[in-house]
Amino acid sequence: MTGVTAAVEVRGVTKWFGETTALDAVDLTVSPGDVHGLLGPNGAGKTTLLSAMFGLVLPDEGTLRLFGRTRAEAGAQWLDGVGGFVETPRFYPYLSGRRNLAVLAGLDGGDAATLIDDALKRAGLTGPVSRRKVRGYSLGMRQRLGLAAAMLRRPRLLILDEPANGMDPAGIRDLRTALRRLARDGVTVVISSHDMAQIEEICDSATILSEGKVLAAGRLDALRASAPDPVWRMRTSDDPGTLALAAPLSEVKAASHDDGGLVVHAAKEDMDAFVLALGKADIAVRGLDLDRTPLEALFFQLTGETKAEVNP
Amino acid sequence: MTLAAERWPAYVEPGARDSRAVVRPDSIAGALVVWRIELTKLSGMIQIRAMVLLSIIGPFLVLGFLNLQSATPGDTPFGQWVHAIGLAIPMTILGFGAQWILPAITGVVAGDIYSSEDHYGTWKTILTRSRTRGELFAGKFLAAVTWAVGIVLLLTVTDLIAGLVAGREPVVGLGGQLVPAGHATWLVAASYLSQLAPMLGFTALAALLSVATRNSIAGIGGTVVIAVLFQIVTLANMPAWAQQVLLSTPFMAWHGFWGAPPYYGPFLWGLVTCAAWFAVCTLAAWLIFRRRTIGAA
Repeated sequence: MTGVTAAVEVRGVTKWFGETTALDAVDLTVSPGDVHGLLGPNGAGKTTLLSAMFGLVLPDEGTLRLFGRTRAEAGAQWLDGVGGFVETPRFYPYLSGRRNLAVLAGLDGGDAATLIDDALKRAGLTGPVSRRKVRGYSLGMRQRLGLAAAMLRRPRLLILDEPANGMDPAGIRDLRTALRRLARDGVTVVISSHDMAQIEEICDSATILSEGKVLAAGRLDALRASAPDPVWRMRTSDDPGTLALAAPLSEVKAASHDDGGLVVHAAKEDMDAFVLALGKADIAVRGLDLDRTPLEALFFQLTGETKAEVNP
Repeated sequence: MTLAAERWPAYVEPGARDSRAVVRPDSIAGALVVWRIELTKLSGMIQIRAMVLLSIIGPFLVLGFLNLQSATPGDTPFGQWVHAIGLAIPMTILGFGAQWILPAITGVVAGDIYSSEDHYGTWKTILTRSRTRGELFAGKFLAAVTWAVGIVLLLTVTDLIAGLVAGREPVVGLGGQLVPAGHATWLVAASYLSQLAPMLGFTALAALLSVATRNSIAGIGGTVVIAVLFQIVTLANMPAWAQQVLLSTPFMAWHGFWGAPPYYGPFLWGLVTCAAWFAVCTLAAWLIFRRRTIGAA
C-alpha cells in the first residue's frame, strides 16, 4: 500500500485513566476500503481506541491520523466523512427517532436532513416507530438508529463499536450484508466485536488487543496462518477407541470433554485424515463441529481467555 | 432492516462538492448552528414552556392575590404601597424574588445544558458529528445566555404591564420623593434590566457547575444554593468590599435608581463584579470541557 494514505494510522498511542493504562503504545493501520476488526476481551481497550479515533478520548502519547491528518492538523474537518458510534448509540429519550436524526442532521449541516427518510427506511425504522420517543426503543432499535445516524454523514470511514449488540438474527444478517456492501463501495470500516465469526466473515484484517496492548495484527489470512490448530468437538461410537487411535499421532491431540464427547486439536487436513482413519477402524463419527476457528484459537492463545469469559 | 438494499450516497470530497454537499462553516457559524438547535430543544421541554407561561401570567396572579388581601409585604421595598400604587407591584416582585428566583430560572437551563448530555450519554453522539467542541460549547452557552436574557426581558414586559394595569399613580421613591408615573415606568424597566448583569453572571456560574459536576441536580440546585448562601452572607456584618464582590449584590443595585438623588455607583461596580464572575466561570467551564474525556473511561 505504499503511496496510499491510510484511512486510519495509529502510532504509539497511549492513554491512562489514573493508574490504569487503557492503551499502551498501540500501533494500528487500516487501509482505505478495508474492513478491519478489533478483537479483545472486556477491558482490552477497544472502545477507548475507537473513542480516540472520534476525538472523544485524547491520547496522552502518540499520534492518530485519519486520512493522513492528525486532529490538530485537520481542525474542524477532522471528522468529515467519518461516521459511527462507540458503545451503545445514545439519543435524546424525550425526542422521537426522527427528531433525533433531525437534530444530528442539523449539527452536520449541508443536505444531511434530506437523507433522514432514506436512513430511517434502510434502518427499518419507518412508520410509527420513527415517531415514537426513543425512550421506548429496544437496544436493537437504538443500534439501528445509530447506524441510520452514521449514514447521514455519507461516511468514507465507518467506526462501529459492537454494532450487532441487541440485534435479532435477521438484523445481524442484514448488518453484515450492509457492511460488505459499504466495503465494496470503498467505505473503510473499523468494527469492534466479541463475535469472532462476524469478524472472520466480514473483515479483511484484524487487530487483537488485550490490556491495552496489541497482541497481533494483520490480514486475516496471515493471522490464520500463524494460528494454532483449530479445536473440534467430536462424538463417536467408540470414544476410548478414538483416543487410543489418536494417542500415537503428533498432529492430532484428542481428549475427553467434561460434557461428553471429545475435544480434538488438529489442522483441517489432519482432521480429514483422522476421520478417514476412524472409519477404517470401524469407529463411526456421529458428530463433528468446529469449536474454535483458527482465529478464535489464536485469540484464546494470545489473550489467555476462555471461551466462556469472552462470550458469557 | 434494509440497510443493504441500495447504494448509499457516497462521501463527497470537500474540493469536489456540488451544491447539495456539506459546507464547512467557520466556528462562529458552527456555534450558531448549535445555538439554534439548542433553542429548538429547549422550546420542546415542558419545564421551559411552563416557566415562560408562568412568567407571562405570574405578575397578574400576584396582582389578583394582592387584591384579595388587605395585608402588605411591608418588609420589601415598595411593599407598603402595593394597594395604592400600581407600579409598586413589579418593584415589590423584584425586591422579593430577584436574588433567588432569577438564579433559579437561569440555573434550570444553564445548570442542565451541559450535564444533560452526560445524563443521557449523548456527548459521544453529538461530538461525533461535524461540530467541534468549541462550537458545541459556545452554541450551548449562547443558548443559556439567550434564555437568561429572554426571560428577563419577558419579565420586564409582563411585570410592567401588570403594574400599569393596576394603576398609573406616581411612585414614592426610596428617598421619599414622589416620582411621576411616566418617569417611574422607565425606572421600573431600568430596574428590571439591571438584573441582566447578575443574571448572566449566574448563567456562567451554572454552566460551570454543569460542566464540572456533569450532574444536572448539582448544576441547577448548586446555583440556587449558592444564590441563597450569598443572600444569607449579605445579612452578615461584612466589609463593603466583600459585599461588592458577591454575585448576588448587583441584583439590588436598582435601589440607587430610586434614591433622592439617584446614585449609580453600586450598579457600575456591579457591572464589574458580574463581568469578572462571567469571565472567570466561562473560562473555567471551557478549560474543563476542552480536555475532558467523553465515555470510555
